[in-house]
Amino acid sequence: MRNSRILSVGHYVPPKVVTNNDLTVYMETSDDWIRERTGIQERRYSEDSVGAADMGALAAREALERAGVDATDIDCVIFATLSPDVDMPASACVMQARLGIGGILAFDVKNQCSGFLYSLAIANVFIKTGRFDHVLVVGSEVHSTGIDLSTRGRDVAVIFGDAAGAVVLAPEDNPQRGILSTHLYAEGQYAEKLWLECAASRERPRITEDMITSAEGRIFPRMSGRYVFKHAITRFSEVIHEALDTHGYALSDLSLLIPHQANLRISQMVAMGLELPEEKMFNNIERYGNTTAASIPLALYEVLEAGRLRENDLLCLAAFGAGFTWASALIRW
Amino acid sequence: MPTSILALAHYLPSEASVAGVRRPIFSEPGGPSDLALTAAREALAQAGLTTDAVDFIIFATMTPDVTFPGAACFFQDKLQCGTTGALDIRGQCTGFLMGLMIADSFLQAGTYRHVLLAAGEVHSSGLDYSERGARVAALYGDGAAVTLLGHAAEGCGLRAVVCHSDGRLHDRFWCEYPASRQHPVRITVDDVRAGRQFPTLDFDTVERFGREHLPAAVREALAAAQSDVDSVDCFVLSHILPEVAESAAAALALPRSRWINAGEAHGHLTAATLPVALSEAVGDGRLGKGATVCLAACGAGFAWGSAVLTL
Repeated sequence: MRNSRILSVGHYVPPKVVTNNDLTVYMETSDDWIRERTGIQERRYSEDSVGAADMGALAAREALERAGVDATDIDCVIFATLSPDVDMPASACVMQARLGIGGILAFDVKNQCSGFLYSLAIANVFIKTGRFDHVLVVGSEVHSTGIDLSTRGRDVAVIFGDAAGAVVLAPEDNPQRGILSTHLYAEGQYAEKLWLECAASRERPRITEDMITSAEGRIFPRMSGRYVFKHAITRFSEVIHEALDTHGYALSDLSLLIPHQANLRISQMVAMGLELPEEKMFNNIERYGNTTAASIPLALYEVLEAGRLRENDLLCLAAFGAGFTWASALIRW
Repeated sequence: MPTSILALAHYLPSEASVAGVRRPIFSEPGGPSDLALTAAREALAQAGLTTDAVDFIIFATMTPDVTFPGAACFFQDKLQCGTTGALDIRGQCTGFLMGLMIADSFLQAGTYRHVLLAAGEVHSSGLDYSERGARVAALYGDGAAVTLLGHAAEGCGLRAVVCHSDGRLHDRFWCEYPASRQHPVRITVDDVRAGRQFPTLDFDTVERFGREHLPAAVREALAAAQSDVDSVDCFVLSHILPEVAESAAAALALPRSRWINAGEAHGHLTAATLPVALSEAVGDGRLGKGATVCLAACGAGFAWGSAVLTL
């Protein structure tokens, strides 16, 4: 059975930069507080009705250009987001229209911070089994329209930013190259430790004026930070070890680890726990905040731009987030 | 070995009268993960397996329990599946077929041995029951079905699955709000007062698109399975407008005894429509082991698809 590999990466970040100091206009917070707890210095916010599909299309165009692949050669679009443009249909459909590739399979994956890796795992088996040759995987989020920018929501609001990333996947005939394995997990008992409740089909009705104006902020993301932090560190380490163990590799064989950019302090604790040298981990959360499904392709884009990944390098991608869900992928570049 | 349905069960809440029709309506607080839980327990019992045998979960829904995380995580917890991976997909009316394609790919790649594919919707909490929305509200019902997929001996199993989408007409059959592209806030009190959180259909466009694409999906899947209309024991056709399924059956010259209008009995259940209808037909003995079935759906996105499989 053939493998799949990432042919190219594209990205898009909206031009509007929001610094920590900018946020102090809306809420009681400070640059020091945010930097100390999260490592974040600034993030981007989309404007003017730009949605996840619009940003995803721009990232996809760049990825297609870099791969030298025509949009019409794409067989399938997988769109990872927890902030779809509209409630229904999927953002994948909206984006495929923007790219002029109506007619191919397009669907959304809603797996939060692990969404990109869950999508990558699907694309991988689509290609391995010969179903498709070129799969476009996009992670894109517009968080800025769904966060509570008042003091009440500050613990969560300061973390998130808007961005999009895209990869084009293609077949790889060398069994030692490309995506070597993917590892996907979830633990729904913690679903409400990091969540956005309403609109909620389990409520009667799903969305009301009271939910929008509720004191507890039911239309905004809410987080039990301590739970997330503790579980993230454990699960990140586990799933990275599993990826390496599966192929008989040790941590010293790893060329680079790109963790989902949840919080710089989480990434640092994971690196410390793994005894991974600083130069073997890439972080860019300082400039973008947590961009959920977009964070890994956005980081991978910058890694390639910086020339930090060479042919034959062993790359591990790992994610942890809401659900809880977590995942890893081991790639021979 | 081909991918096969090892077990299949569904759950429909009790019927109530809404917008002038009887529909299965989930009136207690709860989401699609709750509806799917009952079906999952039954499917596992049928297969004589416990949750330990489940390697991966896929949940297809457009009406998740909460905004995030997805329904798969809630379902995974309620079913007590430990740390089994749980994928949520949003594929509208063809969500079940997309889930089938994903499950088949994981099984055929050897990643997993057993995949639990749930499809469930709670529409009733998101419909406009006023006079203005009654025509759309009357189309929908609530329900869920769960399929346990694994490997089976040659001679049965999945023979083809095809799926397509085209977003150019996405706003002709959609539910706009909450909409993350609306700046500065996804949904406001004014949006709710104006009823922008309810699904709307351009009936003419939806019907025209369905009449063309539903039979086309069937023909494509049959060709991919190297089969033909006469080799299929039963066609299960799904469209939010039951008359479109009828027109597809007519276009394919199907005798009335060999096709099921999937949305007719309980209303449109979106991702759950096809597997609920299939589960009912297996449950009441209309379809037995060895029967070859063609499933097809066309709906919002727009998306359309079809699968051919032998039970």
